[in-house]
Amino acid sequence: MKLISKFTRAIGLAAVAVTIGTATPAAAQDEGPIIVVSGPLSWPFFAAVKQGFDDAAELFGIEYQYIAVTDTANMTSDYPRLLQQAISRNPRMLLVGEFFPDGMDPLIREATAAGIPVLIHNSGQTMWEDNGSIGFVGEDPYQMGYKAGQIQADAGVTTGLCFNQVPGNPTVEERCNGYVAAMEEAGLATIYQTIGTGDATNPQAMTQAIKGTLQANPEIDGIYTLNAVPAMSALRAVEEVGRAGEVMIGTADLSNEVLLAIQSGDIAFAMDQQPYLQGFMSIQIASQFLEYGLQPIGHIKTGPLVIDASNVEQTLEVNRAHAGVRGAD
Amino acid sequence: MLTYAFFAVFTAGAGFISINGTAGWLNLASELGIIAIPVGLLMISGEFDLSIGSTVGAASMIVALGTNHFGLPIWPVIFLALAAGMFIGLCNGLAVVKTNLPSFIVTLSTNFIVIGATMGFSRLLANVTSSSIVTTDSAKFVFAARWGQANISILWWAIAALIGYWVLSRTVFGNWIYATGGNLQAARGAGVPVERVKISLFIGAGFAAAFVGILQGVQWNSGNSTYGMGYVFQVPIVVVIGGILLSGGYGSVMGIVLGTSLFGVISTGIFYTGWNTDWIQLFLGVLLGIAVLANNYVRRLALTARRES
Repeated sequence: MKLISKFTRAIGLAAVAVTIGTATPAAAQDEGPIIVVSGPLSWPFFAAVKQGFDDAAELFGIEYQYIAVTDTANMTSDYPRLLQQAISRNPRMLLVGEFFPDGMDPLIREATAAGIPVLIHNSGQTMWEDNGSIGFVGEDPYQMGYKAGQIQADAGVTTGLCFNQVPGNPTVEERCNGYVAAMEEAGLATIYQTIGTGDATNPQAMTQAIKGTLQANPEIDGIYTLNAVPAMSALRAVEEVGRAGEVMIGTADLSNEVLLAIQSGDIAFAMDQQPYLQGFMSIQIASQFLEYGLQPIGHIKTGPLVIDASNVEQTLEVNRAHAGVRGAD
Repeated sequence: MLTYAFFAVFTAGAGFISINGTAGWLNLASELGIIAIPVGLLMISGEFDLSIGSTVGAASMIVALGTNHFGLPIWPVIFLALAAGMFIGLCNGLAVVKTNLPSFIVTLSTNFIVIGATMGFSRLLANVTSSSIVTTDSAKFVFAARWGQANISILWWAIAALIGYWVLSRTVFGNWIYATGGNLQAARGAGVPVERVKISLFIGAGFAAAFVGILQGVQWNSGNSTYGMGYVFQVPIVVVIGGILLSGGYGSVMGIVLGTSLFGVISTGIFYTGWNTDWIQLFLGVLLGIAVLANNYVRRLALTARRES
């Protein structure tokens, strides 16, 4: 067994060496595909990112390939593997969402060292300057959570609950870290709640979990959820324990339902990181970099844009006219 | 029972044993339970179904796309979704009996095919992977009516259990299920149409999964291709806790219902304790292990007693 694994590793290394060897001189040439390594399309959020990629690609006359996982259970190990496969195809340019830095950053360094231009989108805001990427388009999940915490603290929330439906995902977890930090800076209490990994897409399980937490901690008067689906579960849980209107609900990311709930005042706010812009601007930068060698200096922030009662109408209108652009339907 | 008492004590004052707390875990268990009953019967017949997970999501997306993007009335779309679930079951059944491959592998591949097709077609047809559902009062009543905080899904679960019980204990078909799972060759020799039995049970599982997909979709006003993915593991778990042998040939509907209830009590009750939730799955795993061991022990006692008498 040991021998075999050594042997395969040797072959693997040789393969990488060969790719790098051939990649270096040809990297900036016209050949090779433009490859996008981004998030799973089963999430409405990334469906909107892809919409941005698609629209810009059409506008700038670019062809690109979108690769992502379909099974979200082992993303931490699947993403580095996808990225490795993309690099080994000697792409003309790589557009990467750096969701899992521990596994992905060494690969990105490998790619940039081999002369492949890399542009980071969505996640990777703290890494891109060091790993040789040409730029970053996206948001800072910590800042998004921090802003949510500030809004709730300013509104008079005394005990906040951060509900994380995907424990183990470092990017998403950062939002809760930001939220907790902002609440603690204001001298307020927080509770951090996770759910079993099998229930990440079961709204009923999330409702019952939040309901139980509210029953066990009646002092909770603010909830921050990390996605649109748990936001609706939080709303129902609050209603079921008979505390509608007493608990302030805020969420990351949008859905039509969440927007309608903001309109009716049941949910206070949603943080929009404008996924469409992340995709659109990435392709725009890629096109202008490849053609003219132009690149933005410093990173481009697409969020968070706070959607609340003041601007929800317009967001809903865009949603009706252009399905998928706001990442919600 | 012990588990319930455990949570009743440790959640004292948090309202877990109140009517609303009970409705809460029943709501969760019932959605799981509607699928667990036909899958349990399927496992008694010696087969497995992992494709139920993506069938749930597919059914919810069929209803969402049909009503929201094509403006169709909801009832025909609901029947279309149920038919799609049965069709997936039929494909599973045919593939298993024709190829003799383990159903574990066959349905695992169907699970990927179905979720891939759901996402692919949703993107192609409407450029979304999750979508709102336009419901009517009648559909709301059938799939999402509530009495207090108890969902109508609890009633559907009870009906599914009654049908399952009747089929398994009161009909010839029930005997065929046991015979197929107990000893395939002997059953075939005795004239049991084992292929028909298996295909029918796969169709039943697909129907139940589609039903839950519609139920969740109407209840939450949206379809999502990833709904139900957690069930891929949870359904076999509750069926095994319910005392059904993984090798087939043994088990009861009452056992499945108890297994599902146990899972509902544990996974909901834990949030009422107010404990640090990083430990949830460790705790859940330990409790499930104890429950299965206890089941096993009781079953062995029961079997020895029967042999002695």
